[in-house]
Amino acid sequence: MTDAQVAPEVETEALAAASTRGLRVLHNLGWTLIYLGVFTLGFVVHQLFVTSWFAQQNQSELALERLEQWEETEISEVVVVPSQTGSDGPGGSGGGSGDGSGGNGGATIDDSEPLILRVESPPDLGAAFALIRIPKLERLEEGWNVVEGVRTVDLRTGAGHMPDTALPGQPGNAVISGHRTTWGQPFHELDALDPGDRIEVDTALGTHIYAVREIRVVKPTDVWVADPREGAWLTLTTCHPKFSARQRLVVAAELVFGPNHDVIEVMS
Amino acid sequence: MIRRIWRVLPGPLGIRITQAVVLTAVLLVVLHFFYDWLGTVLLDQGGTVG
Repeated sequence: MTDAQVAPEVETEALAAASTRGLRVLHNLGWTLIYLGVFTLGFVVHQLFVTSWFAQQNQSELALERLEQWEETEISEVVVVPSQTGSDGPGGSGGGSGDGSGGNGGATIDDSEPLILRVESPPDLGAAFALIRIPKLERLEEGWNVVEGVRTVDLRTGAGHMPDTALPGQPGNAVISGHRTTWGQPFHELDALDPGDRIEVDTALGTHIYAVREIRVVKPTDVWVADPREGAWLTLTTCHPKFSARQRLVVAAELVFGPNHDVIEVMS
Repeated sequence: MIRRIWRVLPGPLGIRITQAVVLTAVLLVVLHFFYDWLGTVLLDQGGTVG
């Protein structure tokens, strides 16, 4: 066999080897892409459906827990004297009634008449204690249970009330946070709200109705949105834009009706 | 890869099926926690401030 005959065979073998190697690389690359695709699809399905399924199960349990919580909630009445409210707030109620008013008649509340602010005992961390309903939003038409706390575990079960902020229906600023795209997506359509839209919150005290006043987008570090406010406010916070945790959508609503509305109005 | 793992599993068919089921369950649980962590970091932190 001459060199001229050997060379083409070697060349053919080398080509075949290279071709096999190339095919193997392509084969492995193809499978890697398939695995990546399945992994990504799994992620999307998990986030949109699996977490929401878990959240729905949790909501069913929370509904019962909330009713039990309402039965156990202690409601106390705090006497608020209008002339003292500016400095004392709801906790600083005076005992003196000062009833020598003479009666002013009409719809206005007598300034010297003591007012009764109904206060419920604070819920335990993680306990369901309220139901939030937003008639305009399909997802929240029937309501979503609110638990005390904004830990990861709390927000997986329901919307979370930020501890150390006022309870819904009480003077101050009640802050409630909720998921936008995962875990039941309770605040998915929150950006569809307009000023004037109604938000209802049921607690052991009754139904508190708020009207939307402000809608804004802030940074996640803008904690001032949770600062106390004069009057009774409800602040809802969620991630923004959808499918991103880059910013926060904040909806501030003012109490317009409820068991404490008249008293709070006079206090402010 | 799945076929390769199946071939590597020891024992008779029944044992191999059991091992496959357990492995799948473990994989799903691990994936659940990983997806959950990834979702919290990338998509939705629950809307809390601060």
